Amino acid sequence: MTEIADASLQYQVEDLVKQTQQAITNARDLSNLEQIRTQVLGKKGQLTELLKMLGTLPAEQRSAAGQWVNIAKQQIQNAIQARTTELNEAQLQEKLATETIDISLPGRRSETGNLHPITRMMQRIEQLFRSAGFTIEEGPEIEDDFHNFEALNFPQNHPARAMHDTFYFPNGLLLRTHTSPVQIRAMHKNKPPLRVITPGRVYRCDSDQTHTPMFHQLEGLVIDEHCTFADLKGLLQDFLNQLFERELSFRFRPSFFPFTEPSGEVDMSCVLCNGQGCRVCKHTGWLEILGCGMVHPNVLKMGGIDPEIYTGFAFGAGIDRLAMLRYGIDDLRKIFENDIRFLEQF
Amino acid sequence: MKFSEKWLRQWVNPPVDSKALAEKLTMAGLEIESLTAIGLGESNIRVGLVINAEKHPDADRLRVCTVSVNPNEPNLTIVCGGANVRTGLKVPVALVGAKLPGLEIKKAKIRGVESFGMICSTTELQLTETSEGIMELPEDAPIGMEIAEYLQLPDTIFDVNLTTNRSDCLSIQGMARETSALFNLNYSALQIQNIAATINDVIPVQVTAAIACPRYLGRIIKGISTTAKTPLWMQEKLQRSGIRSIHPVVDINNYVMLELGQPLHAFDLNSIKGGIQVRMSTPDEKIILLDDQELSLDSSLVISDSEKLLALAGIMGGKSSSVTEATTDIFIESAFFHPDALSPTLRKSPIPSDSAHRFERGVDPELCMQAMARVTELLQAIVGGEIGPIIECVDRNELPKPITIALRRERIARILGITLPDTTVEQILTGLGMQLTPQENGWQVAIPSYRFDLQIEVDLIEELARVYGFNQIPSQLPVKKLHMLPISETLKTANELRNFWMNQGFHEAINYSFVDPKIENLFNPDAKALRLANPISEELSVMRTSLWPGLIQAALFNLNRQQNLVRLFEIGVCFNSVNDQLEQKNRIAGIVFGPVAAEQWSMQSRNYDFYDLKGVIENLFSTLSKTEFSYNQTAHPALHPGRSAAILRKQQLIGFCGELHPKLQQEFGIQSRVYLFELQLDGLTEAELPVYKAPSKFPSIRRDLAFTVAEAISFQQLHDCIQTSGGDTLQSVQLFDVYRGTGIKPGEKSMALSLTFQSSSRTLIDSEIDGAMNNIVGLLKQQYSAALRT
Repeated sequence: MTEIADASLQYQVEDLVKQTQQAITNARDLSNLEQIRTQVLGKKGQLTELLKMLGTLPAEQRSAAGQWVNIAKQQIQNAIQARTTELNEAQLQEKLATETIDISLPGRRSETGNLHPITRMMQRIEQLFRSAGFTIEEGPEIEDDFHNFEALNFPQNHPARAMHDTFYFPNGLLLRTHTSPVQIRAMHKNKPPLRVITPGRVYRCDSDQTHTPMFHQLEGLVIDEHCTFADLKGLLQDFLNQLFERELSFRFRPSFFPFTEPSGEVDMSCVLCNGQGCRVCKHTGWLEILGCGMVHPNVLKMGGIDPEIYTGFAFGAGIDRLAMLRYGIDDLRKIFENDIRFLEQF
Repeated sequence: MKFSEKWLRQWVNPPVDSKALAEKLTMAGLEIESLTAIGLGESNIRVGLVINAEKHPDADRLRVCTVSVNPNEPNLTIVCGGANVRTGLKVPVALVGAKLPGLEIKKAKIRGVESFGMICSTTELQLTETSEGIMELPEDAPIGMEIAEYLQLPDTIFDVNLTTNRSDCLSIQGMARETSALFNLNYSALQIQNIAATINDVIPVQVTAAIACPRYLGRIIKGISTTAKTPLWMQEKLQRSGIRSIHPVVDINNYVMLELGQPLHAFDLNSIKGGIQVRMSTPDEKIILLDDQELSLDSSLVISDSEKLLALAGIMGGKSSSVTEATTDIFIESAFFHPDALSPTLRKSPIPSDSAHRFERGVDPELCMQAMARVTELLQAIVGGEIGPIIECVDRNELPKPITIALRRERIARILGITLPDTTVEQILTGLGMQLTPQENGWQVAIPSYRFDLQIEVDLIEELARVYGFNQIPSQLPVKKLHMLPISETLKTANELRNFWMNQGFHEAINYSFVDPKIENLFNPDAKALRLANPISEELSVMRTSLWPGLIQAALFNLNRQQNLVRLFEIGVCFNSVNDQLEQKNRIAGIVFGPVAAEQWSMQSRNYDFYDLKGVIENLFSTLSKTEFSYNQTAHPALHPGRSAAILRKQQLIGFCGELHPKLQQEFGIQSRVYLFELQLDGLTEAELPVYKAPSKFPSIRRDLAFTVAEAISFQQLHDCIQTSGGDTLQSVQLFDVYRGTGIKPGEKSMALSLTFQSSSRTLIDSEIDGAMNNIVGLLKQQYSAALRT
């Protein structure tokens, strides 16, 4: 009887395991699976009931039978675990599938604006000169004759003055025609050695295709005990090479400015055609880009600096023109129209 | 100045081509702006004589000409369309086989008449861009001569753009001096034949303005030919310099001016009453100039006789004393007028004249006599006449003094950064006409009278650099002591502000600093905008007192180009009068209107309003200070009185923000409401340096509060009331709802706030917070009759 009973118990357990495994495999979802678990492994579950029957077995058979039942329990638990993982995974896959969105739809942006190309160019110039230890000075835009002309060695009534097409006010003040007056102010404010740039707005009474009555100028000034024309050449070449991020060719031509002596103009190889000749460089391959020179001793004196001890050089360039060349702007008049379709490109 | 290359090469002939010559001059500071080739080389075009010209039998506009180009050969038959072709005329004839640009001359039948060549116009000879009829050659043109040889062709016209300091080069002589120095060649100076006076006629010359005119030379020439013509060679040279042939005497004066640089003037002697006076004009004296314009003078240097003004000295002659075709007796003037003497007149009335151009920049004070000799020689040769003695008035005290400059060897290296050998220095300066006397540390340099631009040592150093070649001077990077530049962490730069506004979606605008007074007045009716004396136009005639006029115009510009969303900002100087003192201060301003965001598939579209703009401004302020900024309801002439705020920092007014006044909105024709702000830049430069405070370790507690109050009570008032009554554990007050409508009495609004309490030293208990809330509710009720909603 006991052997039969024993064999029958083993048979029943194995049968239950088989049936349960099948049911687990068929379980459609987690609640279904939980139902199966309760039916088999719950307090009143089928396996639990079988386990209760162990007490009826003879003592010598109990331990072996206990092992079968525990193995069976383990097998069923494993099957549930495996099926749970499967169902979880399937559920996740389904969730992922239903939640898929069109990632090509445009995002919710807070739009950004743009800096004016002149500002952009000005900031770049400032960064370059700052990196070389220059400070930035500013001065008033309504100036007096002394700072704009007299202190810069412009003789009274000289044609060089007339060429500046100055805007005047009835009281004799004027709109600065160049940023050079800031040189004088910088010399009065600081003791040499000096390394400053003075970018800013300047005005000339001139308006046509190639002139706007207001434009932007960069002025630079270096004063030191040993400051030569060779230094001037080196610095300006370095500046333009860095500004345009390429190795340019240069030529220096003598010129005339009342406030520098010697005075020169700098031509660089055309950045649009690489010196091959194009409309912008008037087919010469060269662009006139900077005016420069050694600070005139009279100007140093006006700035309270002894020209026997110190020498200096100064240079000036049109920022609007640099920006036009750098960004390919072909019409000067666009610069001050503030057309958003223009501005948003920078 | 334009000049013929051939002419220059008659003085000095460097062994280089036109292009290289131009390059050399340009690189020495005499910028050759353009080279224009004219004329053809040897091309079988010859001087011919029209022996007979008669109408073509089958064409009204054509003539059949018999032309001789060689007396020893048969005459040629040439059909010509030039209206001016006539018997006896000398003309350029392109023979069969001659090659003109794009045209080879062949034997041809023209309307049935065989033609053996072409009579040429100046255009066909590549001399001018346009022409009328065929070119007429002088009677003495030698028959058969190659036109290229006869007209000194081909030639190149150099257009030199001289800097204002180099007026010494405003002549062939000057260009020759410079060219010879650059190529280290000698130039052939002009050999002038001094012609002795043949008559004793003089007129009195009185110079009362000796400072303005330290030297005045005059001479009478009587009985000149009224039929003489300007020789072709002279006409050609004038033409190549852009000067029209007018009258032989005038042409000769112009020629000598071009040749030597001395402007000259000829008066009709018979129009001069009494004698010549060189003086300053008296107020309201009038003169009609050669170009027919009448000038009313105040204090100008003039030439007059005892009755009337004869000329505006050095600028232009008067009409009444000018030389005409009937003139037989002339008075020639060769004078030195000081540059400063002419400029006041020229500033007042700019008169373009070759003479003024030269005198204003400076003419060699020692040139008058040479020029007088040269003009006499040419007049004698071309128009003849009896020559009177030279009348000279000179005040040597007022003439520029000869200049000697000390040049130190060490200083050359100090300025240029290179050491030039003594021989180079001496060669360059000597080549430029200077005389050098060696000294221990350099040289004493005597400057020729025509180089009055050279005044000090560094001027000579420039000459050395210029002739040595700027491009021969090496480049080197300046050396400097290494040290940090001060960078403030709490001072905000304009660029940081720009970046802020850019990141908020604003485009940066740059407007002119001068604006339309009408628009300026709409924005700032009380400000007295500074007016330019010489504006470009009325629309750009006053200095802006605010950035708004420029921004509104930029906004309109965009609106007219289908941009319905406009967000612009600008940083720039505004010009205001503060206590009668001009104040030039940078401001930052912006304009915005249209949809808050571009139309988007997942968001509701709405237009900008006051709080959108205020939010951005608050963002900006939060980067500067947590406590210093405040807003006051305010009235501004350009803003909606109920929707505008004055902005204060530490109780100081720094700007405004708000909605454009509906009146102005209508005036500008803008559909949507427009929002503006403007702030003083110096109110935004200082930021606070962060000071760390540890966050509380204890939990915070939130309580919400909703109450109704009268519409007129501002949030700020309620906020302040809550802050003062909430005790020191009240950390923040957030407004999360404002409601009007059902359940709320008209004229009232409901406000819901969340209050956060927290202590840094302990966990707060409910009873403490209940106490604080009671205080708050009590004070709100007491001060603003706020009724708690439950």
